[in-house]
Amino acid sequence: MAEPMRQRLVLPRVARAELIAGDAVEELGRRIGVPRDTLAEVKLAVVEACLNALEYGGGEVEVELVAHRDEAPWLEVAVVDHGPGFNPEDQPRPVLAAKLHALRKRGWGLELIRRLMDEVEITSRPGLTRIRMIRRTGGQ
Amino acid sequence: METFELRTVQRQGELAVLEVAGYINNEGGEAIASEARTLLDGGCRALLLDLHATRIINSIGISLLLEVLERTLEVKGTLAFCCLTPSIAKTFQIMGLGQYARLFPDRASALAELAQVR
Repeated sequence: MAEPMRQRLVLPRVARAELIAGDAVEELGRRIGVPRDTLAEVKLAVVEACLNALEYGGGEVEVELVAHRDEAPWLEVAVVDHGPGFNPEDQPRPVLAAKLHALRKRGWGLELIRRLMDEVEITSRPGLTRIRMIRRTGGQ
Repeated sequence: METFELRTVQRQGELAVLEVAGYINNEGGEAIASEARTLLDGGCRALLLDLHATRIINSIGISLLLEVLERTLEVKGTLAFCCLTPSIAKTFQIMGLGQYARLFPDRASALAELAQVR
């Protein structure tokens, strides 16, 4: 079995930095044969994880990409920040009917990550938050 | 591909068609919201956003599209989208957007339907 391909990025604090990670995962996934539509979903999940890290985290935002070249290729992505941390259980799931009439219409990022990826694991404590995501090909 | 562009390409009666290209983030979302506000304030009651050249909308862009939707519903108008990529269609499905906005596979079918509504 081929060794996985690995890439590690440190995002700069510039506008659209999240797209650097999104483009990297798209390129890596393309190289191992992940279907385009699946890649677009992974890209959005990675963009959302990076946006959260850039906005609410602190210190360097690191992105670790692993492309597994198995018979059915799959992608593993971790986004790490060094901010104050958060409890994912405290994040309410967004409901459109409520958001439509709310002043704050944001809060979709984690929901999208969870629904677009096959596995999502969040570990967070002050100084270290890590969102690890897996997407297998053919997954929903 | 990700460079944002917005053009109002058609304005006919109460219907306006906006072509959106590139990444819809905070800046893109605000541009759409601003243009939509102007159109609605000017009497427009059906807005069609053609997303054929948009590949990604982040959650901040989504929240700004919800502002457009809220404003459109307030004036008893219709917000519609067409030409969604599969990942954007899935994003909208996750949100449940189809309950409040009209989603069409292409511009022709959207225009045919919206012309009947308006």
